[in-house]
Formats: sequence, structure tokens, C-alpha cells
Amino acid sequence: MIRAYELTKRYGGATVVHGLDFTVRPGTVTGFLGPNGAGKSTTMRMLLGLDAPTSGRSTIGGRAYATHPAPLTEVGALLEARSVHPGRTAFHHLMALAHTHGIPRSRVEHVLDLAGLTAAAHKRVKGFSLGMGQRLGIAAALLGDPATLILDEPVNGLDPEGVLWIRTLLTSLAAEGRTVLVSSHLMSEMALTADHLVIIGRGRLLADTTVAELIRTAGGASVKVVTPQADTLRTLLAGPGVRITTGPAGELTVHGTDAAHIGRTAAAHAVPLAELTPQTVSLEQAFMDLTQESVEYRTTAPLTGAPA
Amino acid sequence: MTTTATAPSPYRVTPRHVLRSEWHKLRSLRSTWITLLSAAALVLGVGLIMGTTYTPGGGDADIDTVVLVLYGTVLGQLCVSVLGILVTAGEYSTGMIRASLTVVPRRLPVLWAKAAVFAATAFLTMYATALVTFLAAQLFLHDTEQAAALTDPGILGALAGNAAGITLLSLIALGLGATLRSVPGAVGAYFGGILILPEVLGMLPYDAVDSALKYFPTQAAGALGSATPIPGAAGTVPALLALCLWAAASLGAAAVLLRRRDA
Repeated sequence: MIRAYELTKRYGGATVVHGLDFTVRPGTVTGFLGPNGAGKSTTMRMLLGLDAPTSGRSTIGGRAYATHPAPLTEVGALLEARSVHPGRTAFHHLMALAHTHGIPRSRVEHVLDLAGLTAAAHKRVKGFSLGMGQRLGIAAALLGDPATLILDEPVNGLDPEGVLWIRTLLTSLAAEGRTVLVSSHLMSEMALTADHLVIIGRGRLLADTTVAELIRTAGGASVKVVTPQADTLRTLLAGPGVRITTGPAGELTVHGTDAAHIGRTAAAHAVPLAELTPQTVSLEQAFMDLTQESVEYRTTAPLTGAPA
Repeated sequence: MTTTATAPSPYRVTPRHVLRSEWHKLRSLRSTWITLLSAAALVLGVGLIMGTTYTPGGGDADIDTVVLVLYGTVLGQLCVSVLGILVTAGEYSTGMIRASLTVVPRRLPVLWAKAAVFAATAFLTMYATALVTFLAAQLFLHDTEQAAALTDPGILGALAGNAAGITLLSLIALGLGATLRSVPGAVGAYFGGILILPEVLGMLPYDAVDSALKYFPTQAAGALGSATPIPGAAGTVPALLALCLWAAASLGAAAVLLRRRDA
């Protein structure tokens, strides 16, 4: 369980993270989403005690990260920026981290194997591809068999096989009852792995929701209708909760009712239909709408606000 | 709060574990061995040159024997100081520091362990180098006024003092590396502030400056590595004390900043 209470980070005059309040529960994969520069990495660094929040606090497993007597067994972390000395071999890098907790060599070899790095274990990290670097980071995160995982953009630089490996790994870790927080700026990637979503834009919380709920609130399902008697159908469908918009080619987009009802209504009043297509808002679209609003809100604010 | 982990974990961050980790870090990098071997080779090489080219009754006759055979210390010490800087600033330049501080979030044990492991390694390497260099140089000095044995008064102490001087100077460098978080920055500050600045100050025509300068790091380190008292230099104990204070100040500043700053 990860909890953030009013986390705020200011650098000079710029507020990078603004009063973030969220909870990440065990047993599910939680996607931490936001456009580039939204404050995801800064938030994760605050959770891990690398950056001190300007105000607010956070706990992992009920206490501040830095107060855990064995942090590696509590939280495994993969940070976005590479955190490895390139002159060391993968094995020595992990062994040096393992020694701080008295974790034995056998565990280091096990996580190297889990990450598919056994063959490269004694090569210096300098020669690693981006994907191998990510695998090493994941191996380090798993070192202490932690109850919580915090992974910043884990699929970055991975080949399709690696991406699939991460997805399967995250899902199985969550299924074991662990808390898994994964950041990404790609909604499509999160749609495949995450159940819960924490979405931020410009350092502010935009949504703390489930994937299904996000689609619903983002406008939900609509139905595209093309008919020569658009005005007639508009009148027939009008009712509480129904919203109809007309597109440039005269097609109707109907919210608040389903295709079956529209089809029945049209048939009962002999309105010919040329097209009747249920449409689902893609997660990508829902995400774009959500973050777009925050961006627009930000850019228009100085125009409407009082001059400073 | 309910997690799968039911059995209490046997793993824990302890000072001993952090020391072991830092020792593993130090020995698993090539740069460690390159800098230490270079330091040892330079000291030994210069020592052999001093021994083989020594002219009895020449201008070097009244120089302290240990100082004479360990002339290469000036060069060797640079290598060890660079290693000290790499130990701390090297973690910042590579990003390794984020991994180090994530696994030991209390932070300070990392700095203390780095300093301890580095100091022990540097001291033992340079003490062994000093012993070997002294014995090798003496092979050529046995029938000159510079002939001395390890058992002669002050010799073993001066050899150990030489290694201690190098170690403490390099600890200042290690602290600078942690404070400035940049290898080139720390190398510049070390060369400019610790090695060159005292030389420049020494040119000023004030007696007070001269008496203060003998407690500056390089001069104090020089006083430690002499079997006989050097005229105008600080005594062994005050010099050691001064050098320890410099190292403590450098590490102390690094510790304060390590606690305060975002990693």
C-alpha cells in the first residue's frame, strides 16, 4: 500500500507536483499516467525519499520509506534515469546492492535469471543495450522480494518480447498480492496491464480511477447514426440524458442511449438508417481528453486571470 | 498493509552490511586498481631513481632519508586523491548514487562506509608501497650517509606517516567529490584549493600566513612523512591532528549536504 498525502514539490518558482493525494492498493497493477513532464518521476522520487517534498508526505507499507529497516524487502524500485555504474558488471552491481541488506549471492543469481540476464551477468554494464539496462533495473527491484514495486517507465527501450515479459511479470506480481505502481506516458500500454489508474497532468491529480470508470466518465459509449431524416430522428430520440451532436457531414453522434433503442425508434417511425455504429471511446482518447483539458486550462489561465 | 510477506525478513541494513557493500563496489571497478597501481608504481619508480642516482656528499646529503626515498609521494598522492574523488563524485556522474541511496535511505551510512573502506584500502596500499620502496632504495644507499634500516628510530613511523598523509589528503578529496558531485569539479577544487592555493599564499610576505600554512593539508602531510623533524614544519602530532581536522571538515560538509539535498 502506497499513500501520498498532499505531496508538493517546488523547484524555485515552479511547482512540479501540486498537492497530490492518492492511494495505491495491493493486489492490482496501478498505472501512473501523465504526459511527459507531468511530475511522475518527481513523485516517485519523493515516494523513495530521493527528493524531499516541499510539503506533504507519503508512506509505503504504513511508514515513510526511509524508516524501513530493510527497504529492499519492502520496496523494489526502477528509476527512469539509469542508476548503474557502467564500469561494473551486472553481477557486481546487484551484489553490491545485495550486500547492504545481507542478501546472499544465490538470490542475486536468481534475479539475474528472472530478468534473463544470466548470460550477460559478467559483462560490464557499459556495453548493455537500453533493454538490457531495463532488465538489470528490474532485477535490482526484485532483489529483496519486495511487497511493493515502483517502476518508472519499465517498458522503455524494451523489444516486443521484453514488453510482453514486463506485462506478464507485473500481472503475476500483483496477483501474488503485491502493490505495483507503474508509470507510463502511454495509455495504450497501461490499458493492457493496469487495473487502476492514477492520472496526473502538470503536477496535479486529474483522475484516480479504474480503467472502466475512466472510459465512462470520459464520455462513455456513443452511437454514430447516418440518416437522410436527421432532424426527425433528433426529435424522436430527444429525452432526459440523451445528447445528440451533428457532425460536419450531417451524421449524428448520440450519447446516453444505445444502438438497439435508436434502431427500434427509427423502425417504429419509418426513418431509414444508412448507418448505425456503436462507438467506444478509446482509453487513449479518454486520456488525451483528460490531459488536454489540464493543458488548455493552464495555457488560457493567464489570459483570463488578473495581470500579475 | 496486508502483503504476502508473512515470515519476518532476515535481511537488514546494518553498518557492517553497508561496509561490505562499499568494499564490493570499490573492488569491482577497474579504475580502483588502475589508480592504486599507478600510485604504487610512481612512488616505487621515483624511489628507485632516487636510490640509484644518489651522489654521496651531494646536495641531498642533509635530506631526511624517508623523505628522500619517498619523493614520488607527490605523484602517487595525486592518483589516490583522484580515486577518492571517483568513489563519491563517480556515483553522481553515473547515476549509481540513486541506487545507493534508495537501498540505504538513511544516506549517511553510505558516506561513512565509503570513507572507511577507501581509507583502509588507501592506507594499506600506500604503507606497503612505502615499505617496499624504502627497502628497494636502501639497496643502493647502504654505503652512503642515507643508509638506514627499518629498525632505526623514526623510520617505520615516518613510513606509516607518509601513508597516513596520503590517505587523509585523499579523504579531503573524497569529501570534495561528495560535496561538489562532479568529478571534474572536485578535481579542479582539489588541485586549486588544496594543492596550489597554499603555495600561492606562501608567497605572501606575512609571518602569520607562514605559521598557519604549516597546518595546511599538504604541508601537514609532508611533516608526517619525515623520520627527523623538518625545520619550520609542524610537529608530528599537531600535523596529524590538523590533517584529521581538514578531513573531518571535508567529510562533515559532505554529510550535511548529503542529508539536505535531493539525490
